Parts: sequence; C-alpha cells; structure tokens
Amino acid sequence: MIKHHPSETLLTQYCSASLSASLSLAVSIHVDMCPVCQAKVAKIEASNAEQVFSDSIEQSQPLEMISDDILDEQDSSLFDFITADNSIDEVYEVEPVAIKVNNHDYQLPRALTRISHGKFTQVGKLARSRVALEDGPLRSSLLHIDAGGEIPEHTHTGFEITLLLDGEFSDEEGSYVPGDFIFQDGSHQHTPLTKDGCLCFTVVSSALHFNKGFSKLLNPIGNLIY
Amino acid sequence: MVSQQQSTRCEPNTGKYTAMPETPSKELMQALVDVAQSRDKKAFSYLFEYFAPKIKRFGIKQFGVEAQAMELVQETLTSVWRKAHLYHSDKGAATTWVYTVMRNASFDMLRKMKSNKEENISEDIWPLLNETQDTNHEYTDHLEDKQIKRYLDKLPLAQREVVRGVYFQDMSQEQLAHQLNIPVGTVKSRLRLALQKLRNEMGDQHD
Repeated sequence: MIKHHPSETLLTQYCSASLSASLSLAVSIHVDMCPVCQAKVAKIEASNAEQVFSDSIEQSQPLEMISDDILDEQDSSLFDFITADNSIDEVYEVEPVAIKVNNHDYQLPRALTRISHGKFTQVGKLARSRVALEDGPLRSSLLHIDAGGEIPEHTHTGFEITLLLDGEFSDEEGSYVPGDFIFQDGSHQHTPLTKDGCLCFTVVSSALHFNKGFSKLLNPIGNLIY
Repeated sequence: MVSQQQSTRCEPNTGKYTAMPETPSKELMQALVDVAQSRDKKAFSYLFEYFAPKIKRFGIKQFGVEAQAMELVQETLTSVWRKAHLYHSDKGAATTWVYTVMRNASFDMLRKMKSNKEENISEDIWPLLNETQDTNHEYTDHLEDKQIKRYLDKLPLAQREVVRGVYFQDMSQEQLAHQLNIPVGTVKSRLRLALQKLRNEMGDQHD
C-alpha cells in the first residue's frame, strides 16, 4: 500500500496549477497511482470551481476594475468565432509505452508517455535518463537502480522528489512501494538501496551533496542524479 | 417524513434580504450535455454568458493583464465547445469540469509566457479523460478476458484454436488458415460457430 503522499499544500497547488511543470508531473504520476489522492484532488477541484464559478461569489464581490460591458462588446464576435467551427477535438487515448532498462521491462507512467526522455546514461548500477522538460533549475529524470544497487548517503541543498514507479527500495526510514512519493530537503539525509532493482521518477533542484569521503569520486554520481 | 419536510421549508431566512442565487448546476450540466450531443448553439450561448465573465475575472487575477485574461476566456470556451463530449455528468458538476479546462489552459499560457515553450503539456498532467475511469475500464476488461478464457475452454478444440488465434494472438484469418492448414472458409465458419456459442454462454450483456 502507498504510504507516502504529496502534502496537502502540494496537492492544493497542483489542483490550481501553481506548481511548476516537473512538480506537477510528479504529483500527477502519483495521483494516477493513488486512489486516496485521486479523491482529494476531485474534492479540491470541485471546491476551486465553486469559488471561481458560483454566482453568489460574484454578487458578494462587486468588481472594481472590470465591468462586464467590455466583455459584452467582444463576446458576440468571440461566440461566433468559436461556434463557426463545428468540429470536435477527438479523444486522445494514451497507449501504454514500454521501456527497457538494462534488460528490465517497465511501463512508462501515463503522464510521461508523450514527453520524450533521453537515452539512459549508466554509472555503476545507476542509470539515468533525462526527461525533456524545461523547468528552470528543476531537473526531472527517470532513475534506474539495478538489483543490489544503492545511492551513497547524501543530503540535498535544495530538494529532491523521488517517486517510485516500479520495484522497491528502502532507506533509513523504511521500505517503499510503487506510487510512494518521497519529498526530501536539506534536513534529510538518506542512503536508498534496492534489493531487486527499481525505476523512479525524480525531480531534483540542485546537485546532491555526499556526506561521506571520496566526494570527488562520487561527483559523477552527483551529476548523474541531478 | 412529513414533519421533516416542513421543518426544512420553514427554516428562517438568516437575515439576508436579497436571496443569493445558487449556482444553476442542473441547467449548466444540461447545457453542456446539449452542446456535446447536438452542437446546440443556444445551450452554448447560455454557458458562454455564464462562464465568460467569471473566467475573465479569474484570468485578470492570474495574469494581471486584460488581454491575457481574454485569451484565457477564448481558450477555455473554445475547449468547452470542442471537448464537451469528454464531460460525463456522473463524474461531477459542469462547473468543476469547466474549471479543469480553464486551469489547464491557464497552465499552458503561463508556461508559454515564462519559458517561451509552445508545447502544451497540461493534458499530460491533467488528462481531460478521467484516468481513474480508464484504469477501471482496463481492469474490467482484464477480468472479462479471464472470464472469456474460461468460456473458451468449454469450446471444442477446433473452434478454440480459431478464437485464440484471431482474438488473442491478433492473427488474420488467412494466417490462421495457413497455420492450421485448412481453408479460410473453414476458419470463418468455425469462428462464427464459436462466437455464437460464446454469446449463448455469456448472455446478453456482452452484446
């Protein structure tokens, strides 16, 4: 069972589109996998809709800066413009996309099927593929860890979201199942390791900081993961 | 029952002398369904008048600029007109659906403004097709497949081979004829017999 969910704040921001693209994607993938958060999202969206679209709000908040007249002048031409084209947008159905990483077969989450991702780069048991999503300092990746692999103990100067897509891994806090949404910032440190291998979606805001010696040796991994 | 009804009716109006109109949920829902089913312009003009000023207000809050707010109105209402068939009244209020359409449009607009990216990814993040329903659908299909396989086992071997080949291994009837070394006509007649039997077994609901 999924134990780790996005916080209420993240969910609320997700519903009102105030998260950046990569965070929205991470939450979206989790929500697809998690009936509990699906129900929450439906509730938040309904209440947002209520706030924006109910008639009573309109009455209780008289508008200072805009009058609806401006709309009236434009709206008949807009109405004609929209309805002039009678065609409908076809439903797009997302075909499941399978990927192969080091001879393991995985299915991409729905949200990632139409967003491209690069070739997997391998360092030891770690393989990373960058998700082609421009989002300021935030980088999203598919991260694969082969059976028996681990990420050396590290902390984050920024934050890191790890969403387990398939397989399992565990760290000092316990073990994780597909769908688990793990948010970590500078105050956390962990050493994830996997017995059977796993595929994760990660969003990282800055390079990782390794706590134990050989940091120069670990740098390639730090760069790989960011 | 009767007394309960009365007490609801007699509830005092809590001091507001102008009655707040409720959101006309039923009417909005009906209008959206009419747009979807019969491209009903009158129904759409009702939606248009209801939502346009509210979307504009939301857009001004979001973008701070009227031109962009109007773009949001256009984007959202165009989608409502062209995608109304994706709305299912059993999944929630019309206002919620229009909200999600507007939210998606607004996300793509903001992203375009920030990163100059033309790609729209809002529908990857928030699919307008309800994903839970899709998953359920697959799930039932999967269960149904299992059940079909059970029924299949009751068919005579010759018919079973044909159904397996065509429906589970995606072979053409010609390929199958070749593989089983029988005429295509025989494949067709076995298939017809098999489907007839399956239908009898499984009952009407699978028609």
